[in-house]
Amino acid sequence: MGPLDRLFEESSRQLARRTSRRSVLATLGRLLTGAALLPLLPIDRGSRAHAGEPAPKADNPESCEYWKYCAIDGYLCSCCGGTSTACPPGTAPSPISWVGTCHNPADGRDYMVSYNDCCGKTTCGTCDCTRSEGERPMYRPSRNNDLNWCMANADANYHCTVSVILGVAEK
Amino acid sequence: MVSSARWLAVWRLAAVLLPGTLAAAPPPLPAEHISVQQLPPSSHHWVYVFDDAFANEIDMRVHLYDGDHYRRLGQIDAGYYSSFNLSPDGATTVVATTYFARGSRGTRTDVVEFTDNHTLAVTGEIVLPPKRAQTLPTPFNLAYSGDARLLYVSYVTPAASFGVLDPVKKTVLGEIDTAGCVLVIPSGTYRVSSICESGRLLTVSLDAAGKELGRAMSEPFFDADRDPVFVQGIPTARGYAFLSFLGQVHEIDFTGEQPRIGAPWSLVTAAERGVWRPGAQQVGAIHIGLGRLYVPMHRGGEGTHKDGGTEIWVYDTATHRRVARWPMATHGLTRIIAVQVSQDDAPVLFAATDSAQLAVIDPRDGHIRHIEKHFGQTPWQMLIP
Repeated sequence: MGPLDRLFEESSRQLARRTSRRSVLATLGRLLTGAALLPLLPIDRGSRAHAGEPAPKADNPESCEYWKYCAIDGYLCSCCGGTSTACPPGTAPSPISWVGTCHNPADGRDYMVSYNDCCGKTTCGTCDCTRSEGERPMYRPSRNNDLNWCMANADANYHCTVSVILGVAEK
Repeated sequence: MVSSARWLAVWRLAAVLLPGTLAAAPPPLPAEHISVQQLPPSSHHWVYVFDDAFANEIDMRVHLYDGDHYRRLGQIDAGYYSSFNLSPDGATTVVATTYFARGSRGTRTDVVEFTDNHTLAVTGEIVLPPKRAQTLPTPFNLAYSGDARLLYVSYVTPAASFGVLDPVKKTVLGEIDTAGCVLVIPSGTYRVSSICESGRLLTVSLDAAGKELGRAMSEPFFDADRDPVFVQGIPTARGYAFLSFLGQVHEIDFTGEQPRIGAPWSLVTAAERGVWRPGAQQVGAIHIGLGRLYVPMHRGGEGTHKDGGTEIWVYDTATHRRVARWPMATHGLTRIIAVQVSQDDAPVLFAATDSAQLAVIDPRDGHIRHIEKHFGQTPWQMLIP
């Protein structure tokens, strides 16, 4: 046996002493599972995302990256005691709103989304979210998120914003 | 533990050994008297900074800041979802705002408040119908006529119109319907233009009592679908410049009976178009004497028009050439969300960021003279008399 053969034999025996057959299988399994999940991980395409921040979640209503929030500018009601479609307790939804057209990656469809403000308490102040895709200045009010859409409420104080699917957007 | 008697003995010994020490103790401070600071004479480098207080919007305010001595001079309160402007002579700040009877709730009162800029005291008000446009700051939410005898305030209910006020007698003179067009761009003595969804300008002429004399619609100058303009117009020598989302500059001459729309020019090359774009709450400033336009620019796509600039790009307003790019991150500045420049011969450029920094910059070479690190909460608009 030459010196090279002795070296490989010794290193193989050391590896065998440190490693059980079960651990090899477990490691292999983890690698395979990770590879299978890799295409499903969320991909950061948000221009406002920054290094060190949690990955955006297109299916999490408490994340600014949630798909329905594509044209929002305000505080997410889902972080303020409400949900993406329900105003927090003690507030009132605005009867008027602006709209956006958002793409749902889960079914590949574009939806018309109404952004209604919830009114009657001062600003929630949690989960500030500005995306403004398709948003237009106030000369096109139906697409404008600068206006206070609580303006016509009995109590016009802005608290947060919900996003409500109106239907599939026509091409 | 050392007894108090022993401490007393040590003290007496020190007094004997060091006789000059106790005798040299400074006298006690004199009693003080409370006073109110008076503003020094105003400067071309004082800037009025509107803080939208986005996390608590019933508490907006305007800070007065000295760009030479780097200090705050005072504050004007601005209430809820407010707008502000300065009188043509710079002596008065006007704030259009809303109050609720119980602080955050209760009966709504819309009001225009007048503040004396020499004392920062509120000197008067005009109560409005509850129609005031509650929107983000622009120069055209609230504006004086050229002779300062009328004051215009934008209404959105969401039906659009504007109120005509008498700032001298502190009265509401009337309301002008604007057929869906928004904002009040003052020109001439008593002309008001509003921006329409069709890309046109509606111009209404008034008499001295605020009654409508006539109206006319311009040709369209932008396409709200393909490339809308920001409503934060930038004052020029003969009117205002409006930037588009994709970086077109539309200069409009408001000196005549009707606005004259100039040929647009571009902030970006063909290769940069759609990649680099303007974005901010206050999206540009022009030094008329220097002939320089300053624009916060960033890399970004559709929907990023409210993202601030990572750089300030500088243009020659005569040749339309870009003459400089000033990256901001290298100075520790985050995205530039508002810019303003003084118009004097030794000018100052102010740049506010999305993390509430306020930078004082030399507009001739981009040298950053000073940075305020915590300037309020959301400084989104700046005006200089």
